[in-house]
Amino acid sequence: MTEFMLVLGWLGIFAPMALGAIASIIGCAIAGQASIGAMVEADGGYGRFVGISAFPSTFVIYGIVIMFSLNREVTPENAAGLFGVGVLAAVALLYCGIWQGRACATAINASKEKPEIFGLSLAPAAIIEGFGVFAFVFALVISAGIS
Amino acid sequence: MSDRDAYIALVTSLPRPERLFFAKQPPLSRLRLDRRLSDLTPDDRETLRRIEHLLSWSSYGMEDDAAVSAARVEAALDGLESTTLRAIIEERVDLRTVVAALRMRAKGEGPPPGKWSASRLTRHLAENWNDPVFRLDRRLPWLPQAAKLLEDRDPLGLERHMLDVTFRQLQRHGARHFFDFEAVVIYVLKWNIFERWSRSDARAAARRFEALADEALASFDEEDLRGAA
Repeated sequence: MTEFMLVLGWLGIFAPMALGAIASIIGCAIAGQASIGAMVEADGGYGRFVGISAFPSTFVIYGIVIMFSLNREVTPENAAGLFGVGVLAAVALLYCGIWQGRACATAINASKEKPEIFGLSLAPAAIIEGFGVFAFVFALVISAGIS
Repeated sequence: MSDRDAYIALVTSLPRPERLFFAKQPPLSRLRLDRRLSDLTPDDRETLRRIEHLLSWSSYGMEDDAAVSAARVEAALDGLESTTLRAIIEERVDLRTVVAALRMRAKGEGPPPGKWSASRLTRHLAENWNDPVFRLDRRLPWLPQAAKLLEDRDPLGLERHMLDVTFRQLQRHGARHFFDFEAVVIYVLKWNIFERWSRSDARAAARRFEALADEALASFDEEDLRGAA
């Protein structure tokens, strides 16, 4: 049982990093494909499309920071806390990355022919980023209370 | 990545479908569209071909009867899992069947015997043949106007009304699909509407040109006759 608890603890430490990376991979791939498609049709503004497609890359950074804040000696007493905070923060980052990628793809699709809505079309992606920041910040706050 | 993200690059490489209707020149030729559609998987390409084969009037010959159409409906629906695509096909078949019934009734014909269409409404139409809108005005709100245009002998107006109804149906279904196969099919069907729309415009333009030419020739003849006198 003790070994199993230790495994959960280590899982909780590394999950934000791993799932944050997966979130960024999927999100950037979705938005990146949209930017490539838009470049075929649009006459200019290619740099903006590529820039938007990199938006979901922040989630791997959040994951790395949470991982370092959780990183400590894993004991049977703190393993459950590390697992709970780490895994739930990781799942939140994963969803944020995938859906931000989709929001960016839609923004690219909409703004390729209507550049004047470019800024506004990024609002949903920015809101999703905000939720990711919530998960990130409160994971850091809570992790300070784990012994 | 899930199927909902299957064709992101393909969809974003297409001009907005609404632009098709405002453009003076088609922003995307069929050749270019087909080139973009080469990104589809072989299975999806075959499904799209079957749906277009069913819904495009140009793929029907003059000698094709209701049995041909019914066989195509069956072929298109066979193994089609997408509820959206099934709904699009069924709605389009219903629409064509109701308009065909209106035309038959306008010619003084009765309801054809047996299962004369693959539509779900065939029996309902036969049972309500004498009602001006087959008691379908609540289910099909576009029907009263279509019946009026047919009564007014305005075939161009009727065609444009039907294209408008079809386009709205596709818009409704498209609101739930962004980058998946359904989105691609809906785009292609909208493109087909645009193509027919532009052709009906071309016909109207040809008629207008003929009328203007007749007027010009008539005035020329008058001048000519006066000059000769």
